[in-house]
Amino acid sequence: MTASLPMPDDAHPDEPDGESISARGSGYGSPVRSLPPKPVTPAEEAAAQSTTPDAAARVTAKRPPRRSPRKKIPADPGPPPPLPADLVIPPKPPLPAESELRAEPEVAAPEVAAPEVAAPEVVEPEVVTPQIVETDTEPEPEAAAAEPEVVAPEREVAPEPKVFEPEPVIVAFPAAAEPEPHAEQGDVVAPDAHPAASVDAVTPALLVKGVTKAFGETRAVDGIDLTVPAGIFYGLVGPNGAGKTTTLSMIAGLLRPDRGTIRVNGVDAATDPLGAKRQMGVLPDRLRTFDRLTGRQLLHYYGVLRGLPAAVVESRTTDLARAFDLSDSLGRVVSDYSAGMVKKVMLAGALIHSPRLLVLDEPFESVDPVSSAIILDILKTYVAHGGTVILSSHGMDLVERVCSRVAVIVAGQVLAEGTVDEVRGELTLEQRFIELAGGLSDVEGLEWLHTFSD
Amino acid sequence: MAAHVLRLRIALLVGALRGDSAHVRRTVLGLLLLTGATAVACWALLTLRDVATAVVLAVIVLGGSAVTLGFALAPLIAGATDPLDPRRFTVLGLPSGRLAAVLAVAGLLSVPTFALIAVSVCAATVWAAHGVPWGAAAVGVVLGVLTCVLLARVCMALTAMFLRERRSRELSGLFVLAVLVVVVPVGVFFASLEWGGRVPTQLAEAVSLLALTPLGAAWAFPGRVAQGGMDSATPALLVALATLVVLALLWALLVRRMLSTTERPVSVRERGGLGWFAVAPGTPAGAVAARSLVYWLRDRRYVVNILVIPIAGVLVTLPLLIAGVPPELVALVPVPILALFLGWLPHNDLAYDSTAVWMHIASGLRGISDRIGRLVPVLLIGIPLLAVLIPVAISLHGRWALLPAMVGVCASLFLCGLGLSSISSVVAPYAASRPGESPFQQPPRAGSGSAIAQGMVMLGAIALSVPALWWGWLALNGDIEAATMSLWGGLGIGVLVLVIGIAIGSAVFERRGGRLMEFAESI
Repeated sequence: MTASLPMPDDAHPDEPDGESISARGSGYGSPVRSLPPKPVTPAEEAAAQSTTPDAAARVTAKRPPRRSPRKKIPADPGPPPPLPADLVIPPKPPLPAESELRAEPEVAAPEVAAPEVAAPEVVEPEVVTPQIVETDTEPEPEAAAAEPEVVAPEREVAPEPKVFEPEPVIVAFPAAAEPEPHAEQGDVVAPDAHPAASVDAVTPALLVKGVTKAFGETRAVDGIDLTVPAGIFYGLVGPNGAGKTTTLSMIAGLLRPDRGTIRVNGVDAATDPLGAKRQMGVLPDRLRTFDRLTGRQLLHYYGVLRGLPAAVVESRTTDLARAFDLSDSLGRVVSDYSAGMVKKVMLAGALIHSPRLLVLDEPFESVDPVSSAIILDILKTYVAHGGTVILSSHGMDLVERVCSRVAVIVAGQVLAEGTVDEVRGELTLEQRFIELAGGLSDVEGLEWLHTFSD
Repeated sequence: MAAHVLRLRIALLVGALRGDSAHVRRTVLGLLLLTGATAVACWALLTLRDVATAVVLAVIVLGGSAVTLGFALAPLIAGATDPLDPRRFTVLGLPSGRLAAVLAVAGLLSVPTFALIAVSVCAATVWAAHGVPWGAAAVGVVLGVLTCVLLARVCMALTAMFLRERRSRELSGLFVLAVLVVVVPVGVFFASLEWGGRVPTQLAEAVSLLALTPLGAAWAFPGRVAQGGMDSATPALLVALATLVVLALLWALLVRRMLSTTERPVSVRERGGLGWFAVAPGTPAGAVAARSLVYWLRDRRYVVNILVIPIAGVLVTLPLLIAGVPPELVALVPVPILALFLGWLPHNDLAYDSTAVWMHIASGLRGISDRIGRLVPVLLIGIPLLAVLIPVAISLHGRWALLPAMVGVCASLFLCGLGLSSISSVVAPYAASRPGESPFQQPPRAGSGSAIAQGMVMLGAIALSVPALWWGWLALNGDIEAATMSLWGGLGIGVLVLVIGIAIGSAVFERRGGRLMEFAESI
């Protein structure tokens, strides 16, 4: 559902904006509240981007399109995630990717303007929302209609929890409200949007249900269920060989699961693989790339394979190279790059078609701290505008810091899943992880190592 | 307006002689060379006054066609910028029809055109000496010169519109390749002719064919008049007039289009560094083609494959020669074998990507884009190679009547091989040496999958080419009709198998993405 809704947004900026604003703005009646965080954001951003001023520019440019999905989400108040997805999926998915891509450059300007225009049109949203919701379920229309008129923020909070998982919703929701007003007003992002965002997606950006994959006798993945709401960082952690890469490969459409379903923004990957792939940017770990091409050629290849026109690819290549600090290396052959640079160029390639969902396998492995800070910054902004990132990592503190939800995978099964706080309980994530993974068994038989030979 | 533009044109001509001394010296030297060449050509033509009409016709038609072709190709290859590009007149707001006419007339005022006019006037005097009425000779000259001028303008406009931003080393290389493909067979053909004071029959046929093409019709018109009066000359005249009309319309359309559209601004600097990607169309298939080309030309594994082929072709001939097979028959053997190997080359193409193939799968690439893109390099290598080698083989053999049969057999083997390769590289890929490894370092293979895939493609291509081979055999044994059958039969079967192969390969590629990835990770 989320997927389908944003599309129309992009195509007709006015409509969605009006809708979302009415839902959010009138409902909360607290634009003032939202403002305070705003000043903080630019400062933080500036600080983060001081190293690469260009990154900031790039990010800002990209924002408009991203923003719309966000607002959308609030608009449909509380349809239960799985159901609407099934109903709405078929017609809409194809549109978003294409329309979004095409529209991006031109839309940018109008969309920025749209918020101001939209504000007066508070009345419109009601008309729009019911239409969209109608298809899904009966009760929703009322909820949607009610929302815009609601003045007190608490009221809005109340309905949603019922639909969604209770715990996270309550905690997160107030926070979630904040990013929206931001977006409407000036598009400045709340940097700490990620914890908040976790709940505000109603249709999951990614739904993995009962997925199983066996290689010969070994079951690499054994019945994994994941629900990744839109607009968050989702972490996948697990010991070596736990099946993280296999899981991500199946999500990315590189491997076909033996059993189970995968839905990307409601699009079933089995029945419409192209539609699902179009919405994803993929950074695999340990797979080769066409490394006899130069960096520029490789990024061009990424873009054109995704069906972007050459001119768009060119300008995005330049932007991405600047953001990832690759500009000087674009003329060199990728096989001469260091491991970290290859990672960066491949991540840039994964972003080039502005996907809705990023599937990143070990994105920070062998990337230097400065670059990973920049990458993290780019990804945070991406997420703040409605993008979703699912990543696997061995860096527990990074996952703890960045991700709002985590799944711990051990031996092909999900042992714990939920917000970071839920999963770690009273321990640190690392301690909890080690505990789940089987604990530190006493190492025996290495006594000779403790008596030195000389 | 016309006077202004013409004056501008003359000023441009004179202006070429200004500038720093080195430039002027070069220009003057070029002018002198051109003048000298023109003088020699005129003198040579004038000596033809008392030679047989058929010979004069052959020389003038062939020469005229070559010159016309040169006027068409020069702007493409040289990439010269047109000082009278219609777009430069956009801001003046002139009506496009008049501008087109004026610019066409201005095109007459150029150094190459002056040389052309001088030579063609000499040709006209020669025809007059052969009894052609002055009027007909003059019409021939006018038609020929106008065709050349318009052709040059049209090609220049097309170059300016479509090729400027793509101009690169790679593109020039492609053009040179294309020219070679045409020139070498023609050269071999001429070299194998036996002149002996009169026009060989093969050449006469070529001339009569050229006389009905847009390239040679204008030049052939006076000659046809000399040979058989107005009646026999009418077809040539009609073709020449039609050519002129079509070119004029095309030119007018191009001018209108250039005046009413704006160039997409493409910064040259950013365009640079893309290599083949800048030459290929900006579609997924084009990108795959460009990527494949980079690999075929840069990756040792592919280069070794290409180098092995001619060696295989030559090696086959040795035992045959030793066994006492007549050399003129042995001459026919290597080229079809080469064609077979060329078609067989990409049968395991996908495995050469190793795990990098994930990019194609994850991006939701259409199977057809993948399949076609991968065939482009082998087509770019194979077609010129065959175009050059087939005439050479035939000239070694000695009977040009076999040429169609040879073309048919080679086309059938090559295209059937490509079609089957398109299927086998997704259905039965087998482990190949990985990127960066030595091409001779073969990975351990499990089972006999590789042998089956290799053998099936090779034998399948031969089996599907049996009809073409049979007709070729008949032609070799004297049945000349069968040569034509072989040509069309071979081409038809080849194209059909290629299309079906690509279709099946595409479907399988899209269906089996996951399986392909598992395979890629296993090697």
